[in-house]
Amino acid sequence: MYKKLLLLGAVSGLLSAIASIIYQKVYAASLGENFALIVKPFNIIVINIISGLIAGTGFWLLNKWLRNNTEIVFNLLFAVLSFASIVPAFGFRLPVTIETPELFPGLVVPMHFFPALAWLTLKPLFVKTYQPYQKVFA
Amino acid sequence: MKKIFIGFSATIILAAMFAFTTVTSWKIADGYSIVFATNGVSGIFKNISGNILFDDQSLAASKFDIAIDINTINTGNGMQNKHAKSAEWFDAAKYPAIKFTSTKIVKAGAGYAATGLLQAHGISKEVSLPFTFKKTTTGALFEGNFNINRNDFKIGAAGGEVGDVIKVTVSLPVIK
Repeated sequence: MYKKLLLLGAVSGLLSAIASIIYQKVYAASLGENFALIVKPFNIIVINIISGLIAGTGFWLLNKWLRNNTEIVFNLLFAVLSFASIVPAFGFRLPVTIETPELFPGLVVPMHFFPALAWLTLKPLFVKTYQPYQKVFA
Repeated sequence: MKKIFIGFSATIILAAMFAFTTVTSWKIADGYSIVFATNGVSGIFKNISGNILFDDQSLAASKFDIAIDINTINTGNGMQNKHAKSAEWFDAAKYPAIKFTSTKIVKAGAGYAATGLLQAHGISKEVSLPFTFKKTTTGALFEGNFNINRNDFKIGAAGGEVGDVIKVTVSLPVIK
């Protein structure tokens, strides 16, 4: 179970990183600013994979404690933490050589939700969780 | 003949006086920087304009008339930039520039000091700004470091997270 969760974390992190890099390119094409000195593709990949691995570990730990309610609590926690993580993006201070710092949150805020989105998208492919309704309708 | 000689002499003397009082007019070149820093905030102003008449041999006729565009403030944070331009701080819509007009320039130690009116946020105050002047291969360079108390100009509320005394560092390359 733990290995599957870690694999899910790594793969969803990679998917999230790819989505982030594509989004950065689209953002740069439309607004002319990609903040490449701050938001580097290598950092995007590393941070996303690490966050995926942390999510996998977190799910495994929660599952040991909560059992059947793991999915609900984990998804809620992942959403809340993703939402909370956008706050520093608004307060982040860029080098003053960057002309348009007001465009920075527009780039990074959506990226903060990509790991959760990738996790939720890929999870059914890796881990089959207990569904209460299956028991009811069995 | 005598009258012609007197007229000619007078012309020569006047021309010589004019030559001695002519002060070099400098244009602000690219690569300038206006950096400010205090507790809680730091940044730059990206645009400065104005007229500079300066000759280190003729300080009495030298004069600065400078304007800094508030709307070009960059603290590195978009929200902070917007906040700085708001009515709570610089009120850029009403007072779009910080202006300095010198009334006197004197030698001060290794450099100079420009005394004049600093106008910001609708308030004028006499200040003395120290600076140095160095001739370069392309023109010259003015540099200055000084402190401004933002409370003198009622910029923001006194105290709080942002320091009252703002350290300003100016580097102004100029060309003729």
